[in-house]
Amino acid sequence: MKKRLYVPHPGHFDGLKKLISDAGKDIYSVFMAGSPDFVGTGRSNLAAPEIADIREQTEYAHRNGVNMEIVLNSSCMGGRHLTPEGFNLIYRYLGELDSCGVDTTVVADPYLVEVIAKDFEMKPVVSVLSFVNSPEKAIFYEDLGASSIVVDPDVHRHFDVLNAIRDSVDCEIKLLVNEGCLYQCPFRYAHFNFFSHAFGPHPRPNVLDDYYYERCILARIKNPRLIITSPWIRPEDIHEYAGITDVFKIGGRTHYTNWILNCVEAYTNESYDGNLMDLLDCPKDLKDLYYISNRDLDGAIDQWKTCGTVCVDCGFCRDLTETAVKVYTGGGTESETLVEWSEIAGAGVTNRITGKTVVHA
Amino acid sequence: MITEKLLETRSDIENNMRTLLGRPVMVTELDAFALPCGCNGITANLRGLELDDIEIFEEQMLAHFKEVALRLGIPPSFIFARLVPGSSVVAAINWRVLCDRCYPEFARTHGKMPRPDIYIMHLERRKGGGRGTKKMRSGRM
Repeated sequence: MKKRLYVPHPGHFDGLKKLISDAGKDIYSVFMAGSPDFVGTGRSNLAAPEIADIREQTEYAHRNGVNMEIVLNSSCMGGRHLTPEGFNLIYRYLGELDSCGVDTTVVADPYLVEVIAKDFEMKPVVSVLSFVNSPEKAIFYEDLGASSIVVDPDVHRHFDVLNAIRDSVDCEIKLLVNEGCLYQCPFRYAHFNFFSHAFGPHPRPNVLDDYYYERCILARIKNPRLIITSPWIRPEDIHEYAGITDVFKIGGRTHYTNWILNCVEAYTNESYDGNLMDLLDCPKDLKDLYYISNRDLDGAIDQWKTCGTVCVDCGFCRDLTETAVKVYTGGGTESETLVEWSEIAGAGVTNRITGKTVVHA
Repeated sequence: MITEKLLETRSDIENNMRTLLGRPVMVTELDAFALPCGCNGITANLRGLELDDIEIFEEQMLAHFKEVALRLGIPPSFIFARLVPGSSVVAAINWRVLCDRCYPEFARTHGKMPRPDIYIMHLERRKGGGRGTKKMRSGRM
């Protein structure tokens, strides 16, 4: 399938050179964070390139036929952008990005969508953190001037909604293919608001534990079905979305370039033999716990295309979890091996208080 | 090599908890530490464990944790779980050999949770209150 791939870039020039030298022909655009001193982002930052660096990297990308996208998708700015000082600071920064030749800027705040569309050459892209999950929201953002919308992954397996969004707007529709977040994640708003402050302008909260992350990981260790129900799109399945868009975004700008290149190859070839966890942007931790053969998921998209998402009545993903999810045991030692998920948890655990047997997944 | 022992121990802790709980638990990192005050020990950073699990299986877990410490040459004098404050999420298990300066801080506390982020599984009280100036001898691996 002919497609345009947006590829994560950790932010340092060496990283960009590596991405372009190894996979430049497959990359339509790279995206990286801007400076957290102006607007935060929804991810931790490995690099905070200065304007001069962004200019140099943008020129390099353009010389190699690759577009440059800057991510400023803070989901919460604490109202600072609406103050005269905050607005002036951000407006000036946007102007500097524009002067660098940046092609697109990803923002989550509707106000910034409108500001960029109205006053700058670069185009505003509506972030996944704007949670566009309906035609109504898509129309709203298009009317503000959005040139592209990254659709909320929660509707990736709701083809009726995706088709309705496509039919409602003329702007570009982009799908983030490898986000491994929980379907209908209850932490999503709070977590990204936290990230926006922790990796945004000062003052930054000095946090010991990321509660949302810990809870998210815990939930999936207790119940790996939640990994299967995450709305990622396998490389083999992106052709199923051909009627909706040809623009796909690979998440992962906090990863090493080798990891990114592995994803680019998989999504370019629309094929991957290996652990699905290798491709998911988050959670990183769980790739050392679970092995989910990507091949074992062949055909699952046929179910998901018509899925009613009433898991309690269905059981498809539960059954798939039983067969596809394997767990590393003895990790890091000579006796490291894989065991079936059901071998560890299939028999269930008897609750000592209620006496009931609880079967996970 | 210390690191080889740590690798084996990391996996052992993980497997033991999996057997107890009937589901995976992940020890994302097992670290040996030494603090400027003289405290030392090991920390197992965890994912997939809740306080409820510890409360139910405390006896079995503690027995294993003591065995783990002894295997690494660490006196199992103080073992506690570190929680994400205000929640039931267990972030780490700590085996800490307290120095003489830090010991009284913990020895004077009452109950299993002297702070919202600490659940004490085991604390050996020293004879004579443990006040003194000497730092406690480090555990050896």
